[in-house]
Amino acid sequence: MLQYIIRRILLAIPTFFGATFVVFFLVQFAPGGPYEQQLNALRKGQGSEGAGSAIGSENMSIPPSQLEALQRYYQVNEPIWARYMMWLGLYPRPTNDYLAELDEPRNVGGGFRVIVKKKSDGQLAVYSAENPTEELSDWYIDPSSKANSVWVYQRTISGIFTADFGTSFHYRKPVTELISERLPTSLQFGLISFVITYVVCFYLGTQKALRHGSAFDVVTSSIVFIAFSIPGWALGAVLLVLLGGGSVLAVFPTGGFQSNDYETLTLIEKIADRAWYFVLPTIAYTLGGFASITLLMKNSLLDTLGQDFVRTAYAKGLRENRVIWMHAMRNSVIPLVASIGGIIGIFLAGNYLVEVAFNIDGIGKLSFEAIVSRDSNVFFAFAVISIIITLVGSIISDFMLALVDPRIRFS
Amino acid sequence: MAATSTSTSLSINQRRWKKFKGMRRGYYSLVILLGAYLLSFLLPLMINNKALLVSYEGEWTSPAARDFFGSLPFVGGLAPSSFDPGERYGLIGEQSEADYRKLQLRWEEEGSENYVIMPLYPFSPNEDITVTGNEKFIEPLQVDGNDNTRIFGTDDVGRDVLARMAYGFQVSMSFAILIAILEYLIGIPVGAAMGYFGKWLDILMQRFMEIWHALPFLFLIIIIVSFVEPTFTLLTVLLVIFSWLGIATQMRAQFYRERSRDYVAAAVSIGVSTPKIIIKHILPNTLVPIITFFPFAVVGGISALVSLDYLGFGLPPPTPSWGQMIGVGLSNITKYWLVVVPFGAMFTTLTLVVFIGEGIREAFDPKVFSRLR
Repeated sequence: MLQYIIRRILLAIPTFFGATFVVFFLVQFAPGGPYEQQLNALRKGQGSEGAGSAIGSENMSIPPSQLEALQRYYQVNEPIWARYMMWLGLYPRPTNDYLAELDEPRNVGGGFRVIVKKKSDGQLAVYSAENPTEELSDWYIDPSSKANSVWVYQRTISGIFTADFGTSFHYRKPVTELISERLPTSLQFGLISFVITYVVCFYLGTQKALRHGSAFDVVTSSIVFIAFSIPGWALGAVLLVLLGGGSVLAVFPTGGFQSNDYETLTLIEKIADRAWYFVLPTIAYTLGGFASITLLMKNSLLDTLGQDFVRTAYAKGLRENRVIWMHAMRNSVIPLVASIGGIIGIFLAGNYLVEVAFNIDGIGKLSFEAIVSRDSNVFFAFAVISIIITLVGSIISDFMLALVDPRIRFS
Repeated sequence: MAATSTSTSLSINQRRWKKFKGMRRGYYSLVILLGAYLLSFLLPLMINNKALLVSYEGEWTSPAARDFFGSLPFVGGLAPSSFDPGERYGLIGEQSEADYRKLQLRWEEEGSENYVIMPLYPFSPNEDITVTGNEKFIEPLQVDGNDNTRIFGTDDVGRDVLARMAYGFQVSMSFAILIAILEYLIGIPVGAAMGYFGKWLDILMQRFMEIWHALPFLFLIIIIVSFVEPTFTLLTVLLVIFSWLGIATQMRAQFYRERSRDYVAAAVSIGVSTPKIIIKHILPNTLVPIITFFPFAVVGGISALVSLDYLGFGLPPPTPSWGQMIGVGLSNITKYWLVVVPFGAMFTTLTLVVFIGEGIREAFDPKVFSRLR
């Protein structure tokens, strides 16, 4: 068992690398990616900022030093594998990158100054400006295209594995901080939807199996299938217009997460307020999840009810409720339990469509807006989080399956 | 279960078709949806602001027919191909496309011998307030500046909601069917090869598919589309790239199971070639789950397109699309018809597809649950 789980986790590692590499590669090499965009912005910016000189000329050349700084920032001259490893945090990346003139002190932030001088053997070295005899071994030097200047920088290991997703260009804050601010909102919706989905599906699936072929069964089948096929956010949009908007009925709020005066409310009022805001988005969230789990539950229970041990239980005269709940049910919930991992992934990953439609400040909306404002570090982080949640979900599923089903022995 | 049918000469597929037809709901859904889809190819002749027929000084022309033929090879509404400037019909000084509704009114007033026959609903999905008579946010069943009734009103730039909804149906269905077919064309051979040949091919492809599965695919499509100008082709390619996996996984499992059956061993032992075994012997036995899945692949395609269009990363504007319409409705939340109409259309379409899917599933399902009480 333990061995199986360990093997399962080890197998997820190459998948993680593969999936993150695809994301990284796609974004880096898509035409018009972050680097090209900055380049274009610089070109255009010069046209308009240059006070009348050559306005709008797209082919304005960028000063070599600026271009070089940009290239160094995006590390476009490094091979793709090195950039990928830096991004992951497995390979040191240059930080504190400064263009320094030879023999001139250079301010490198934090009130600290360095100076680049030639050593006796003709090699360049970095010294502390205050104490010119002290050679700084943690500073590195790269040649520059500018005469008499070099790039000085430090190296750090920092990336996804050290929980460093970089800084958001738009919010000018670390991405980790941005996401942790908004994560609780998404998690609340995710967990509530998860619980509701399972309770409803368990009950519905059981009833459908016990009343297989009845009108109830046929009608609910159609309903869950239609619910499955309609995008949740679209139904949410209709409910918002019909029940939350100003046009028909104003029963629910027009989106958002809580009332403006939320902080002043008493505990009970707080709960009521939150619930009032949660109704419509939760419907949108849960809509798609019903079909698969309900049918899983139904088919599984039907299969069990047709088996010999159930016949035996009836034959020895047990009451129907006891047969169903004590004998059949334990065997029937196995697939339901095994599906938990996949479902939890869907709910926890933050549904950006619903969040955008209802104007909820969760990680989904944050990431979608990051795409619009081309804030690549933020949507990178969201993609990586989605991948991790998916992989962890599938491990949890396998683990649960092994845990609840005594017939499964992995060896 | 006692078979009620006395005929034994029906093939399995004929029996399935009979069973499918017997379930009224699925069958009628298929008839309605198929009929509506075929009819939607005639949209340029039914819902269009160009005349079906213009008779001007004894000469007959049909701008709507030109639209119709222009739209035939593929979806995409009304390509502004060649047009007749207003000058051609005696509207002096009008270099731009003739306004046929105006022409009709004018000739009627003049009592001239020239006449115009307009399509059933004389509005185009893409004409906005720049055309005289169109107004923003006309409510359903109200009249516009020219006293024409707008059945479902107009949107935030004065485009007719009914026209956009109808053309959106055509676009959504074509897009979803195309994607589903392409998914099958890739998924079936890949899955079959994995299941049949196994070994390193299977292991390698499974690793690859696991990676693909872990990717947040709609999100990645949005990222890519935000960099590159979206076109119909690009969106199709992207959605297919990310969605053929489901079919391949199913096919793999089917082929894997069938390969170890006796009839395959028998075929191998009498020297039947591998391609023939795969195509003639195994494939027909694996198609049932694949066929029953098709309507749901279409559902997936429609949902994905609607979601992408809503976020603004779908088909390039001004292509009429339900997702874009709902998006406009959400930013004008007091104008209920802007959301209700496209959602109603989508709901109806998806419900019909689901009913068809249920019917097919039932018709192909040999399993009969029996329960002792």
